[in-house]
Amino acid sequence: MCPTLNSKTLIQRFQVVAALFATLLIAVAQAAVPGVTSASGSFNLTAAPSYLTQPDGASIYSWGYGCVSGSTPSFAPAAISGANCPTMQIPGPTLIVKEGQSVTVNLTNNLPPAAGNTSILFPGFSVKSSGGTPGLLTQEAASGGSVTYTFTAMSPGTHAYYSGTQGDLQIEMGLYGSIIVLPSTPPANCSSGSSNDVAKVFNGETDFRLSTAAYNHGASCYDREYLFQFSEMDPLIHQQADAQKDLPCTRANGCMSIATEPYHPAYFLINGRSMPDLMDPNYAVQYPHQPYNGNPHMHPGELVLLRVVGTGRWQHPFHEHGNHVRILGRDGNLLLSQNDPTKLAGPLLFTTTTTPGTTLDGIFYWTGKGLNWDVYGHTAGDHSVCVPDANGYYTADPTAPNYYEWCQDHAKPLEAHPFGAVGSGGPVTLPDANILTNGAWYGGSPYLGPDATARAVGSTPIPPFGTVANSPSQEAGFAYMWHSHNEREITTNNAFPGGAMMMMLVDPRAFKINEAN
Amino acid sequence: MLTLSRFLYLLTAALLCFFAISAEAQSFRVQCPTTTALHPGLATDAGAIKCQQISGGDGFATMADGSQTYLFAFGPLSGLKDIKAGQPGTQTQAVFNTPNPFTSNPAADPTASNGAVGLTPDPNLPVGSPLDGHIDPRPVMDVGVMNGNMPAPTMAIDEDDEFFLTLTNVGMIMRPDLFEQHTVHFHGYPNASSFYDGVPDASVAINIGGSFTYYYLAPDAGTYFWHCHITPPEHLQMGMVGQIYVRPRQNRVPLGASLYAALAAHEQASADPRQRCGTDILCPANLPHSDNGATRSNNKSGSPTLYAYNDGDGSTAYDVDYPIQIHGFDPSFHFVGMTFNPEPFTDMKDKYFMLNGRSYPDTVTAGPMQTQVADGSMHFSQPLPTIINIPLGGKALLRISDLDVTEFQTLASLGIPMRIVGYNARLLRDMAGNNTAYTTNSITLAGGESLDAILDASDTSKFKAGDTYYLYTPNLDHLANDAENFGGLMTEVHICSSVDPTTKTCS
Repeated sequence: MCPTLNSKTLIQRFQVVAALFATLLIAVAQAAVPGVTSASGSFNLTAAPSYLTQPDGASIYSWGYGCVSGSTPSFAPAAISGANCPTMQIPGPTLIVKEGQSVTVNLTNNLPPAAGNTSILFPGFSVKSSGGTPGLLTQEAASGGSVTYTFTAMSPGTHAYYSGTQGDLQIEMGLYGSIIVLPSTPPANCSSGSSNDVAKVFNGETDFRLSTAAYNHGASCYDREYLFQFSEMDPLIHQQADAQKDLPCTRANGCMSIATEPYHPAYFLINGRSMPDLMDPNYAVQYPHQPYNGNPHMHPGELVLLRVVGTGRWQHPFHEHGNHVRILGRDGNLLLSQNDPTKLAGPLLFTTTTTPGTTLDGIFYWTGKGLNWDVYGHTAGDHSVCVPDANGYYTADPTAPNYYEWCQDHAKPLEAHPFGAVGSGGPVTLPDANILTNGAWYGGSPYLGPDATARAVGSTPIPPFGTVANSPSQEAGFAYMWHSHNEREITTNNAFPGGAMMMMLVDPRAFKINEAN
Repeated sequence: MLTLSRFLYLLTAALLCFFAISAEAQSFRVQCPTTTALHPGLATDAGAIKCQQISGGDGFATMADGSQTYLFAFGPLSGLKDIKAGQPGTQTQAVFNTPNPFTSNPAADPTASNGAVGLTPDPNLPVGSPLDGHIDPRPVMDVGVMNGNMPAPTMAIDEDDEFFLTLTNVGMIMRPDLFEQHTVHFHGYPNASSFYDGVPDASVAINIGGSFTYYYLAPDAGTYFWHCHITPPEHLQMGMVGQIYVRPRQNRVPLGASLYAALAAHEQASADPRQRCGTDILCPANLPHSDNGATRSNNKSGSPTLYAYNDGDGSTAYDVDYPIQIHGFDPSFHFVGMTFNPEPFTDMKDKYFMLNGRSYPDTVTAGPMQTQVADGSMHFSQPLPTIINIPLGGKALLRISDLDVTEFQTLASLGIPMRIVGYNARLLRDMAGNNTAYTTNSITLAGGESLDAILDASDTSKFKAGDTYYLYTPNLDHLANDAENFGGLMTEVHICSSVDPTTKTCS
């Protein structure tokens, strides 16, 4: 009397298939913060229509910013190969500029005439516009026409840009993106080559950072960075636009009659994609108009800069499993203590709520501090070393496989009676593996890294069944779900799993995090 | 109607189906050692061994309009006496390991004891063998089936405790088609291991008929919360949400001693490196910018003052504390969830807006609420009222968490200002030691957030014994119980001559 197929088991099968699918495509981890740069500060953008793919197979008519056909933008980080900038993408190209740089954005309106005018707002910057036609909030580009915006990139940090024309429709359709302003003078303590840099070089890892600090401040150093831009889509609005896109029109406000209320989003996006597509590589060929992914990886002890952007209509509570986030700044404004500007004043959050039009920069790390057991499964007498620094971590040897181990718990066993060669006499007995269901991102044991996992599983089969996305013999990282905690948003058009969700991997130093290939 | 025997038959069949090849598959077990390396049982131990057992299954709750709502839910399998009294169910190992009389005597009341249900000497060992976590599954099923609580059993631990939390999956009797695993996600646990993080994709999940013991060293003090992480939009909406908070070391500072000196000793000189901040950008509690001279003293109840955080300046002191969890139920989703239909996520729309699993006026009904379940028996379904009793001239700490899965919710205080001292289980203080707490009349939380608000009634010229104030939502459409245009996210605040800090009784 085994269970027959029902909708629930189908969804679970979808989960497994989705996980397998994701695994096939992430043979090499990719992430970083890819975007376009310009030595002259000039970007030639277009607003254009195309169709987005969704994990449920839907093809959604959308509008997005892109690079003018034939333009030759530069790309960063340089180490990511295959970078491109199509004429339409969602989110729009991430504009990477330097503090103090004079920025010029030439926007050409290649939306269908029925959409009317379009424009871009750059909140937080003092923008001058030229050309185009007057609009409500800014100068606009008429259908087929163009407009130019110029501003000086004054404040470092992460910023949003989005349409200033019929925002309830045009932003919903996909006309938004991010601007990253890099600090002009990253502090010396950030750029002098930290011991995490030494470890990176020793392990043969490439540096994918756009800078070494988020702000001109010594407390904003980072070792890796990731961008998460949140939005949502109501397919009914897009269907109406699709049906009316060919209407003849010469009016500035377009000729479409689209009901944008009641609002009923079914797709919840991060960087224009949703789970599992979100974890596929940047610039993956199967998503020609959704080039950016969300697939964060990090090693223990690395300071990771999160650049989080809210877009669209709704707030999305972004929950980072694994640790708190120290907020550095909001909307590119560094938050410092009032009476000691050398110290940060932003809060510690485990859920960073995103609000449309608002950005935040924050620092996250994971070390395993305070668990009261050794995540590496070290045992007394195994010749492993952990000498605590002033903060309690093993940082003396950046080439060590346990670099940044929390030494207080070194060689402390977890299990009372382990199967294999990890310490015994610990506090817990693990249940019989036969009454457990393994997750696709389960590393195969409670421990971090292939070495500890191989020792820990002892007589049980290696790799344990079902751990397909985080190889017990190659990676054995610790996986954490980073997702919207409005939990219904981790669905794709009524199917779970999907939506605004990804898995973050804390990888052992033995696993080479390669953000390009 | 499914009977229990029919359910057990289905359960057995399911277990055989899944595990026919395994001869060693174990069933329910608990783990609650009497000593550990960290807590050898000496007088010098910091913290203690704390244990709790919960069931994962289903149940029914009563909404404020009288309707009965189906839940996927956790229920208590230890600490039943305290849970029934509205207290956290977490026990010391000594209490947990005291057998619940119901285990050996079906006529006994399981809610008259705090001992673990089902814990008994292994009958396969010689008579007189000590308890080793062996569980008799019969009392566990008798107590645990259809015994879900909303919110789930409350947990409370102290810094330096080791916490052994056993989840026992008793199955969902109303949905025998679902072979659902359940997990515990301790939301906000810093530097969590993925193994004990409760995300089924990243770890292991416990099948029906099995137990899994989560192991946590108590994290830094704060108001956290917990929930199941299996299919979150479904299991959270259906009710698998609970509260957990961690009390600070500062509660152990001797009377009359300096709070600043105590925190400084931890941060700068402690032998335990976990307590030192160093250059940690995620340091939970920086020393105050300067010493304000605060010392530990007695509160309005005549007992040593308690604190929400290791503040070093007494800024988070309170006389009485109340865990409050905000949630919302969509009755259509719950009906679909009970009736074997595919569940729509896009259309999810909450119609019941709850504080601790109840809407007004049930929020001010004293004592545990019971609900008749599908077999006609009564079960304690919603143990927690939200009656905020504040002693005259005192302060109440509201430990507020939100696990709504569809929208943000706002809670306002009519009359008594709210002082927000903590956010997301962390003291509001910048890295230079300046207090960044703020005073407000309303707070807005997303699902997945928590904060600590102090209702400060210390001005006795304004707040007099016998006064009643209100906590309510200015999201006015949330002041309703489905079709009833009155109720929802609201409760009362009473100023009392005195308040018992444990029972929270007003006098």
